[in-house]
Amino acid sequence: MDLDALAGCLASSACLVTQTTSGLIIGMLLFLVAVGLTLIFGVLKVVNFTHGAFYMFGAYFAMTSYQATGSFVLAIVCGAAGTAILGLIFERVFMSRVYGANVLMQLLVCYAFVLIFDDVVRLVWGPEFKSMGMPAAFQVMPLFIAGGVVPPYYLLLIGVALAAAIVLGVGLARTRLGKVIRAAADNPGMVSALGINTGALYGAVFALGCMLAGLAGALAAPVRSLTPGMGFSVLIESFIVTVIGGMGSISGALIGALLLGLIRSFGSQGFPLFTDGLMYLFMVIVLVARPTGLFGKEVA
Amino acid sequence: MLEIRGLSKSFGGVRATDNVTLDFADGSLTAVIGPNGAGKSTFFNLITGAFRPDSGKILLDGYDLAGSAPAEIVRHGIGRAFQVASVFPSLTVEETMLAAVGADQRRAGVLHRRFPLPEMRDRAEHAMELLGLAGKRNRVASTLSHGDQKLLDIALALVLDPKVLLLDEPTAGMGPEERWRMIDKVRELWDTQKITVVFIEHDMDIVFKIAPEIVVLCYGRILASGTPAAIRSNAAVIEAYLGTEHAGGSA
Amino acid sequence: MTELQAERATETLTTPRDDAASKGWRYLDVLIALAAFAVLASLPFLSSSKALLDFVIRCSAYGLFATSLNLLVGYTGLTSFGHGMFFGLGAYSFGLIMQRTGASIPLAFVATLAITAIVATVIGAICVRLKEIYFAFVTLAFQMLIYSTILSWPSFTGGDQGLRGGIPRPVFIGIDLSNHVQLYLFSCALLVLGLLAMRQIVQSPFGYTLRMIRDNAKRAAFIGIHVWRAKLAIFVMAALFAAIGGMVMALFVSGAYPEFAYWTISGEGIFINMLGGVTTFLGPMVGTVLLLILNDTVTRFTDYHGIVLGIVILFFALGLRKGLMDFVVDWAKQRREKGGSA
Repeated sequence: MDLDALAGCLASSACLVTQTTSGLIIGMLLFLVAVGLTLIFGVLKVVNFTHGAFYMFGAYFAMTSYQATGSFVLAIVCGAAGTAILGLIFERVFMSRVYGANVLMQLLVCYAFVLIFDDVVRLVWGPEFKSMGMPAAFQVMPLFIAGGVVPPYYLLLIGVALAAAIVLGVGLARTRLGKVIRAAADNPGMVSALGINTGALYGAVFALGCMLAGLAGALAAPVRSLTPGMGFSVLIESFIVTVIGGMGSISGALIGALLLGLIRSFGSQGFPLFTDGLMYLFMVIVLVARPTGLFGKEVA
Repeated sequence: MLEIRGLSKSFGGVRATDNVTLDFADGSLTAVIGPNGAGKSTFFNLITGAFRPDSGKILLDGYDLAGSAPAEIVRHGIGRAFQVASVFPSLTVEETMLAAVGADQRRAGVLHRRFPLPEMRDRAEHAMELLGLAGKRNRVASTLSHGDQKLLDIALALVLDPKVLLLDEPTAGMGPEERWRMIDKVRELWDTQKITVVFIEHDMDIVFKIAPEIVVLCYGRILASGTPAAIRSNAAVIEAYLGTEHAGGSA
Repeated sequence: MTELQAERATETLTTPRDDAASKGWRYLDVLIALAAFAVLASLPFLSSSKALLDFVIRCSAYGLFATSLNLLVGYTGLTSFGHGMFFGLGAYSFGLIMQRTGASIPLAFVATLAITAIVATVIGAICVRLKEIYFAFVTLAFQMLIYSTILSWPSFTGGDQGLRGGIPRPVFIGIDLSNHVQLYLFSCALLVLGLLAMRQIVQSPFGYTLRMIRDNAKRAAFIGIHVWRAKLAIFVMAALFAAIGGMVMALFVSGAYPEFAYWTISGEGIFINMLGGVTTFLGPMVGTVLLLILNDTVTRFTDYHGIVLGIVILFFALGLRKGLMDFVVDWAKQRREKGGSA
């Protein structure tokens, strides 16, 4: 515990800026992953315990694509599209079999695939830590804001994540597909009774959720190291975000992710060893006060 | 005696139960009728503690039960059977009765002896016989027919010797013949056990044949209460609910 | 007064006594337990393999843990994702008490159980109010909180290195746990006694109260059962047996490691239950043996045991769709029915 360091940081505008930005990118990445998780839960009523693996695949696909083509844009697209396709296949072939079953069965199927996916990555890419490296376009001087260091890539990351959030929000509210998705979340029976192909819908939503996780992984690849099993901590954290924000709530995922990101970055100043613990403590406090999360709906 | 005083409950803007005041005399048999949405099940839910009333009193022999937890209300002597039979799917009929019969706290928490406790056998046996389920004692509850599950449901309501027995649509989901058998069973129980019975029912033939007392609920309010003859000739009831088929005539 | 009420009045005059049938079952269970212990106890004399004894000791630790989890999952319908916290708590409490105080093993044992009971009561009181999936999440959150605390307190718990320096084993009533065979026998004894105790809980009237809560908690409340209290009671009891499993593990590895409190322990507990089956009492025990064999064999043959383990789990989850013992019991029942109607 190092409360002096924390106080010192809060007093210094340089540290404030650095940590806030750091917290923001952690938060925005987490948001992308968590919103995918919460979307899948909201519509399919299933907790996708493999979600972290798709984050991992997004990163690896992006890295491989960048190493092959040198195009950062293509890398991001590969990461997102690759995971969307993978997610679709996974959902249609395996997840759809356990929709009716109890949570333990779903957990088991997902856990089996986490084990399999991690080993597949280890087989294909090798177990060592890998890195994609910062794309040439961003190998520039960092910005100095109020004395704090802000790599321009961070700004891109935040921008892309925010854009994705807006597109998602508007898409769900305005487009026909969005309305169908929201309807399915509220009343699945009704939607199928209206003649909508629920199988295709579920596949699409699951693929969308996985794509968001993959996008997060692709965006994170330049600034994180890649390793099989990197999905696990992301899974736990996005889990916490979703539960704190409320399962099924997008705004909840945003608020929860930003809160968690800031807790992490400032928490690492004051509680370097207990940073994870802070998150869990926060989760416990929120859940005890509001079991359904900050913005969650009461499950019938 | 069960006395209800000014019982009210709203959900959102809707008054599901609106200032209901009613007496159920000891040993009486009353049918509660009314159109769908009249608040009959809500009324039962309030009395048994499933919902908390917004206002009003529920006096059982003078003791106010309003706001108490369901387990407490059951111990004070109000038993309830459900519209959709609510039983324990994996237990056999006999296990259900033996487990339920000892469900007051001392027995439910006993750790050092084996189930079933021998002193519970007589009471469980008696309950099974009362409902005609003794021959099916080893059937797992989930494999019972719908009618038998309803009987088991009633047995579960009877198990703590209630002073008042509330039956929520005992004949729901049954064909005409089965319905009469069920209601005969209810009447037989009432005759032999000498408890206060209140039941919700939709079949007017049954209601007018069986029930000495009838209460009509509409929009959460009591429209009328009294003997079958009185209800039959009540203009408001005829207009709101009965139509002319059951109106007037002799009891 | 109704007939039932009249009977109730006379009931207090008769002395409650277990009838012959109940006594019979109890004796049968004890007999099976004794036989099992006899078989296990003879192993060191039939085989000189230390690995075999080690395997059984690990089965004891995990078996106690997994069976205690089934008290919650299979018998009460409480799906806990954080049960491993008590396994870890048991290991660390026992290890710390032995290392830092001069306590005897029996005293440390009892003290660990006391600590576990207190922690479980506090955590349980918060968690059992919650519905299903939220109960699962919050138990997991508490477990990870405890895990983080263990990691971030190196001066007390050794941090990510765990408790090092071994666990002292003063001799008590002639038992010397630094002797491998005696440790083995001690673990087997704890396993058998623990299973017997859990068996008694499950077959007692309280056990049937739990089954009622599992099947239909709402109805259970409507026949007068205090559901919250029962859930809290079994939560604490299950925690105690998990802690005993943790203590066996601590003695086995002569220390305690953060992995004992990590969520994977809870995950393995759940898998063991699904593998072995939750509807029979010994299902978790079967699952424990299965998983440990699987883990040991697979790691010996391939580096990629994740894929193999994953496929096996899928076989049970998507193929059999039930645990092994559940499958066996159902198959036996079907054969009996087919034979009967032939």
